[in-house]
Amino acid sequence: MTDGANILEVKGLNKYFGPTHANVDIDFTIKRGEIKGLIGENGSGKSTLISQIAGIYRYDSGSMTLNGEPYAPHSPKDANREKIAMVMQELGVVGTLPAGVNVFLGRTQQFTKAGFVNLKEVYAAAEKIFTQWDLPMPPLHQLAEGMMVETRKMIELARALSIDPDLLLLDEITQSLSMNNRDRLYGLIGKLKGMGRSVLVITHDVDELIEITDTITVLRDGAVVGEADSRRTTADEIKRMMVGRSMSGEYYREDQAPDYREKVMLTVRDMAVPGEIEDVSFELHEGEILGFCGLSDSGIHSVGKAVYGLSRLSSGSVRMEYADKDVKTAEQALATGAAYVPKDRDSEALMIHASVLDNICLPSVEELEGKVMYLAPGKLRALTNEMVEKFSVRTTGVHQTMDALSGGNKQKINLGRWLAKDLKLLILDCPTRGVDVGVKAYIYSLMKEAKKNGIATLLISDELTEVLGMADRLMVMKDGRITKVIRRDENFTEQSVIGAMI
Amino acid sequence: MLVVAVIVCIFLAFHLISGGTFLQMDNLAIVISHTVYPTFMAWGLCFLFACGYTDMSIGGVVVLGSFATGVLGNMYGYPGAVLGGLAVGLILVFINFLIFAFSGIPSWIAGISLAMIYEAIAVAVKLNPTLKPLIETDMNQNIRLFGSFPWSLILLFIGLFIVYLIYNRTTIGLNIRAIGGNQQVSKALGISLIRTLLFVGLITGILIGVAAFIQESYAGQTTVKTGLTSMYMIFQPLAIVLLAQILQRWINIIIAVPICAFIIYSVFTLLTTMGVPSGTLQEASLCVFLIVFGIIGRFGYKGVVK
Repeated sequence: MTDGANILEVKGLNKYFGPTHANVDIDFTIKRGEIKGLIGENGSGKSTLISQIAGIYRYDSGSMTLNGEPYAPHSPKDANREKIAMVMQELGVVGTLPAGVNVFLGRTQQFTKAGFVNLKEVYAAAEKIFTQWDLPMPPLHQLAEGMMVETRKMIELARALSIDPDLLLLDEITQSLSMNNRDRLYGLIGKLKGMGRSVLVITHDVDELIEITDTITVLRDGAVVGEADSRRTTADEIKRMMVGRSMSGEYYREDQAPDYREKVMLTVRDMAVPGEIEDVSFELHEGEILGFCGLSDSGIHSVGKAVYGLSRLSSGSVRMEYADKDVKTAEQALATGAAYVPKDRDSEALMIHASVLDNICLPSVEELEGKVMYLAPGKLRALTNEMVEKFSVRTTGVHQTMDALSGGNKQKINLGRWLAKDLKLLILDCPTRGVDVGVKAYIYSLMKEAKKNGIATLLISDELTEVLGMADRLMVMKDGRITKVIRRDENFTEQSVIGAMI
Repeated sequence: MLVVAVIVCIFLAFHLISGGTFLQMDNLAIVISHTVYPTFMAWGLCFLFACGYTDMSIGGVVVLGSFATGVLGNMYGYPGAVLGGLAVGLILVFINFLIFAFSGIPSWIAGISLAMIYEAIAVAVKLNPTLKPLIETDMNQNIRLFGSFPWSLILLFIGLFIVYLIYNRTTIGLNIRAIGGNQQVSKALGISLIRTLLFVGLITGILIGVAAFIQESYAGQTTVKTGLTSMYMIFQPLAIVLLAQILQRWINIIIAVPICAFIIYSVFTLLTTMGVPSGTLQEASLCVFLIVFGIIGRFGYKGVVK
């Protein structure tokens, strides 16, 4: 098989989930050595399509051919045998097993002699994969449960690469990665292309998709609505195909100067968390969006956790000036009117198997409870319906479980439920991770509204354009310390930030 | 090394508190003989907990397994005793896991129902005029070697070696821990939930069967438990596993189990020598010991596996 020949051909593919027609007559090809992008709004059927290629779901009608042969995988193992590997959108590691074992989980037979697995060989092989593909090496003997989202994503990536795939499927992986690891991933994709391998990438970052792919397929409402050559198309054209109309207005703030009040809302002094951050000090003002950015090991995500009282400080203090209180625990932070939206939405923020109603109402139970702590169902439903309508959440009803919602809708609930409260301080860690352009724009509009209402926002992000687009001031971190503070009216450019990051 | 040093210090303290009797060979032999049976049960619980399930009926299984060990042992000698315990343990726990895997009923609820059924079977056996005298006859002293020191210790080491390898060094061991850690991911990686659960049933069944054999070898006869009192038999193995989970930071859990069993039975021995009456008061003391140990063990947890 030579470069340019189809490796995978999908014809008339349909997939139903009950009454939902998730994929509608999909026709789609990937050539050998091609980097193909797949894009669409949340709920457009991208993950469903890629999951069928990976053998997670079976298609209801249509056909797939792989290298000219019929292809109908019954399981991811079948797909692996055909040299197709996938890194899933949601986190996919087993926390109770070491990182090294996770790389070969389900395939440890190859290290088995006389019925026993040689763990030394497993760890050595895992190490080899990380080295071979230039991935950041996690502590291979350590359990995966305590690791950062990004590290766990890298373990998943190593697992996919360990089958030496002819076709690699990446489902919204880049939004879990910081800038340096994104660059690594782009390098890896280029390397695979150079080896004549194919990659199918799903991402909501249109500019990124245009930059790293050869061709782009756009899905809307489960069907293919357009194909584009990445060298000839524009971001606006892709967005128009995605939403079916032109996207007007700016995503980010248009003003070029900091715009916040003098009143200090939060004072952080010499904050340190062993092994994560050191000597972190800053002030956050009323109506200010204070951005934090840095490379993967810079400690930006630890700042959010520490300010909200989720990490034990070895030194320093966090003071909520608006409440005149020092805060050491999340309970204290919440009581003062602070909220935290973590990066790992499914594991740390949402009760994924509970209903939309439970998730929306949980932060507001104190406001909702009546006499003798009774929660009237009517009140709960009213708040939930109000939130669902206000934030345009696509759901079949307030009792639908969260795991059935798309990433964008989950994030609308995750963020919206806090904005229903009388907040003073909002800590956002990668708030637009895994959401499409439409939801992204909506989240930015919510942030602007919160800013207008005087809410102080701590915006931690792996996306430089996001913090540059939204922050009044930017804290650049490296190796757990703040290395540079840039105001919006100073040298507020990618170059100056990157210079301080690396 | 630090863990070993701490454990040695604990035992030296016990020795001092007991007035110099604790570390005497006779006393140690008694403590070790006591620990072998709950150690096998605790290993069984390790497999159960690792895959995210629990089984409240294993006390009832041990009672029936002990009956089979005693009766068949008296009839056919060692082959009867060993196979009797193993067969009952294996069959009943395997049935339990068939129910857990296919019924969808939460395992702890199904386990309680099964415990009642096994207790009822034990009562029925005991009331049967033909079986009653067989059950009430002590197991022949000639075939009770593994209930006494040093044979019980040899059995413990053989068990430790095999269980360690299965839990840590086999694909099925890793798969069991994987489905307990994240069922969705495990399925996506091609690990069969049903097949793995049935393997847990087999492995746990064998361990419970061995526990029944040792229990009968040690005690000679087993009494019928009713009113869910068979569930009480899980308490000490459960305490062992809880303590072993705390020590897991430093020692592999399978190795930690016999160490913890020894520590717990040492505490009981110490309390007895101090004049604390056996029963509720001793077990309450054990709970306090566990809680204090648990609190200390959580300091600085980083998730490193041994």
